[in-house]
Amino acid sequence: MADERETARGFGHRPTGRSKPAVTPPDRAATKRSQTVSTVLVAGAGLAALSLGSLDRTVPGRDVLVYPDVTACAADAIRTADDCLSAYNVARAAYPSSAPHYESLPRCEQHHGSNHCETDGTVDLPDPMRFVPRMAGYLLGRTAADGVTPEPVYDHSSGENGHHGAYCTGSGGRITTGSGAHASSGTLKSGSAQATKFGGFGNSGRGFSSFGGS
Amino acid sequence: MRRIACGERPGWRSIARDAGFAFHTIDGEPYWDESHAYAFTLAEIEDDIEGPSGELHALCLDFAAQAVTDERILASLAIPEPVWDTVRASWRRRDPSLYGRLDFSYGGTGPAKLLEYNADTPTALYETAVFQWLWLEQGLKDGRLPAGSDQFNALHERLIARLAEIAPPGLFAFAADTSGPEDLGTAGYLQDCAVQAGCETILLDLAQIGLRADGAFCGPDERPFAALFKLYPWEWAFQDAFGSAVAAAPTRFLEPPWKMVLSNKGLLAHLWAREPGHPNLLPAFFEGDPACASLGGAYVRKPLLSREGANVEIFSEGARIAGADGPYGADGFIRQGLAALPCFDGRRPLLGAWIVGDAPAGLCIRESDGPITGDGALFVPHLIEPG
Repeated sequence: MADERETARGFGHRPTGRSKPAVTPPDRAATKRSQTVSTVLVAGAGLAALSLGSLDRTVPGRDVLVYPDVTACAADAIRTADDCLSAYNVARAAYPSSAPHYESLPRCEQHHGSNHCETDGTVDLPDPMRFVPRMAGYLLGRTAADGVTPEPVYDHSSGENGHHGAYCTGSGGRITTGSGAHASSGTLKSGSAQATKFGGFGNSGRGFSSFGGS
Repeated sequence: MRRIACGERPGWRSIARDAGFAFHTIDGEPYWDESHAYAFTLAEIEDDIEGPSGELHALCLDFAAQAVTDERILASLAIPEPVWDTVRASWRRRDPSLYGRLDFSYGGTGPAKLLEYNADTPTALYETAVFQWLWLEQGLKDGRLPAGSDQFNALHERLIARLAEIAPPGLFAFAADTSGPEDLGTAGYLQDCAVQAGCETILLDLAQIGLRADGAFCGPDERPFAALFKLYPWEWAFQDAFGSAVAAAPTRFLEPPWKMVLSNKGLLAHLWAREPGHPNLLPAFFEGDPACASLGGAYVRKPLLSREGANVEIFSEGARIAGADGPYGADGFIRQGLAALPCFDGRRPLLGAWIVGDAPAGLCIRESDGPITGDGALFVPHLIEPG
């Protein structure tokens, strides 16, 4: 394992970019070898000291954007108006099935604050799980490449009343924003239902190189 | 084809250090050896190695197309039945492959004979593409090598071009057992090529790979991988806890799962059955096939899955004359006609012909002192003599 190499190194992400060729032989028209060979990472660090992804397994918070509606999202101009709308549509479509359901209004309001819950009309009696939080807004990634699936978010009660910038997701994820309900930036901590698993590759064999024959 | 004494470059170790080549010496034993080199004529390279490599790779693709429609073939390769759909789906999606290495017995006379296809997890990539190339360029500049010498080695350029062609938008991850310098070097070098191809990349250990609730594979920060290069054999990956998640994952793997049908010694028996008498193939049969008797007493017994020559045994006149220990063999064996490695000054070279995408791209040579090329074999550079 590579833990020793990890100290003080960040994630192993590499920016895109192109390097200048290290060697450019002259007059190379019809050879069977590369015209130029240069490396951008290997030559600096050496193959044994390349920066690996962090081994920190604690789930880091993800930076996400949170808005009450499409208008607020578009006005913020971090994502395009089209992105804001399509993300909202994804979140809105997920709302009926992904919203947490409660057996009573008080239980729902205990989690989400007073006046933030209603009855889910699609749930038939006698199923008691008829009470859901209203969709307070939605979250989306800061960029499309972040790979964040847009989700509805709900007010999350903290103490007396109001949420002090706290939202939650249907799976129990918590979102904290810096400056109140309409702040665009939030940090999402995954709920337990969304836990990503690690360590599922590499246990059947280690340390081989594939060069052999006879 | 000749073995020439060209002498080492003075200070090549510091050149290697500057170039980032960290494993020229492994556990105190030499791995890179430039005291000698192999010299080929252009005709030997083009007619005997490059041409046959491209043709054999095409035959392998034809075979893969049949294998995914024939459960008997998948079973003959000891591919577990729960994996069949994943293999078939990756072929039908046309998941692109990046690279592979065909290993040949060849000594300059007669056709090169295919010994195996390392189609899933070949290594020796960096030292072929970069350090061997630098050796030639510096030898030409210093006058140590004959002016006008060339090398069959477009690997670096082809890898970058291929990665640019097949990389999906998003994060491209490169994973290996990073405790092994060769494996780390191969994955790290490919990451370097991907950066030069314009990709956003991450390099990580196999154990750092995560599986998100939405089914995508990811790194420690949970950002999903659009593509994941894994220097880790599929037969092991599918035994792991995450193996069953591959089928539904949006992550595209390199090499793709369909490469399992080529990275298997059973391929050699199937190729021979499809193309009996092909000049670049050796007769080969699954053990237990009565046709094994046609090999007479001189054959090589190989496990379907093995690496670095492990568990390979050579028989002559029916007697075992050489063998290598190892952990493989539980899945069955083939027997292949013996094409002894040629002998130059008591040394036995094995030729590795690289395929990038679907085209031959370069050559590397591993040299050993015995008839089975194992993990102690030296990497010896090559050149094409001026015409």
